[in-house]
Amino acid sequence: MSDAVIISSRVRLARNLRDYPFPNRMSTSQGEEIAEKVREVMCGKDFCGYKFMAVKMEDLSEFDRVAMVERHLISPEFAAPDSKKLLITTENEEISIMVGEEDHLRIQVIIDGFELEKAYEIADRLDTELDKKLHFAFDKRLGYLTQCPTNLGTAMRASVMLHLPALKESRTVARIAANLSKLGLVIRGAYGEDTESVGAMYQISNQVSLGISEKSAVENLRSITEQLVNSELKTRESMMQSFEYQDKIGRSYGILITARLINHKEAVRLLSNLRMGICEGLIEGVDLATVDSLMLKIQPASLMRLKGTRLSPEERDRVRAEIIRSELRPR
Amino acid sequence: MKCEKCKSREANTHIKKVVNGEYTELRLCSECAKALGYDNVFDLEMPDMFGGLLQSFFTGALPARSGASRCPECGSTYGDITNTGKVGCAKCYEAFYSELLPSIKRIHGSASHCGKVPLRAETLEVEVNSAENELKSLKTQLQKAIEEQNFELAATLRDKIKEMEAEK
Repeated sequence: MSDAVIISSRVRLARNLRDYPFPNRMSTSQGEEIAEKVREVMCGKDFCGYKFMAVKMEDLSEFDRVAMVERHLISPEFAAPDSKKLLITTENEEISIMVGEEDHLRIQVIIDGFELEKAYEIADRLDTELDKKLHFAFDKRLGYLTQCPTNLGTAMRASVMLHLPALKESRTVARIAANLSKLGLVIRGAYGEDTESVGAMYQISNQVSLGISEKSAVENLRSITEQLVNSELKTRESMMQSFEYQDKIGRSYGILITARLINHKEAVRLLSNLRMGICEGLIEGVDLATVDSLMLKIQPASLMRLKGTRLSPEERDRVRAEIIRSELRPR
Repeated sequence: MKCEKCKSREANTHIKKVVNGEYTELRLCSECAKALGYDNVFDLEMPDMFGGLLQSFFTGALPARSGASRCPECGSTYGDITNTGKVGCAKCYEAFYSELLPSIKRIHGSASHCGKVPLRAETLEVEVNSAENELKSLKTQLQKAIEEQNFELAATLRDKIKEMEAEK
């Protein structure tokens, strides 16, 4: 049931080594030293039951780096090539550690579906093991010490990615945003800036990290998410009564499987309509996973990475349309 | 380095962004940055958070009073921290605790951690010491505030000292 609305769950912990200055005050050699330490601890053997691999950001091509931003694996800040920046991931990229971002370590776990507790449990276990070797900066009053005071305390950001086309259409998202901030949560568009999201993809996360435990923060987020899912589904139900809306979804599917040129924004908007059509039983023969993976694949850098070459915007529109057609073709 | 836009003034703003799949960097002077809508660097450097609000949080903080003008560990001043919105190292939080506290409270609505504590006995020892230091520093500040007849600050400090002593 929640598949229709919830895309993925994420938990991120910020950690710093006690004996080094924070990234803005550290030298290149100190940064490289930290990267080396973390690599030694995590790679080349089994760590917490996972196999990790490491890659230096400066060794990756621009497409690779930007494509990582597009699939939310790293932050835009981390995409800049720099010898201090090391990315450690499991093969499926569910778990990743950015070394040398705004804090020495950013431990991140992203799991498809509504899996907040599981994501936290993994991040927590990694943190405990890493702390034994790396000794993280901690203060009893302020919790885990971070470069930016907004992350103090648990230094945890938990979030869920939601597809909310009906709440967007009925202009409820803006109203929700105002209420969420009172609860210490924030909602923002997952593609594009502020709350006006292309493709109705939103991310809700906790804003406050000091004075609230990890467990309560995750519980808060879970209960708000459940409420949002319910109201999204209810709104969808009434929306789907209208022929106008059914027509819009049918036409979106029609364009996606026949278009020869399609820009990113249009593609995301139409895929969002298609996604809702599938969930509401209006469109058959396409599964959600295909749509979700297309959403990621058709972004500009991801396309260029797939083709292994730089493409002009016009070429991208052509390649994008081609990929969408081939993946959505009725079988 | 000169600003990439006006090519005359010194560049002091570094902008990194991803547009249409391309990573770009810009080095601008503060005037050109402002003209292009980049006057608030925090928004760009920390899209993950609400860093844009941060500077205004900091400006409301108490002026430096703890007597520790530089962090003994990394050499940051309190001014460095407010200018960049970034704390220099873990020790800075001890050195500028009372200056940072109002900002921290405003951001989080609280200034006492509850949640995970690392499994290290030595942490506790360090903590007791740092609480002692904090108390000492507060008492010095209180003395100074009274001498300067800054009674508002003195009252705040007195309450904090009471609070800390009660915790012991």
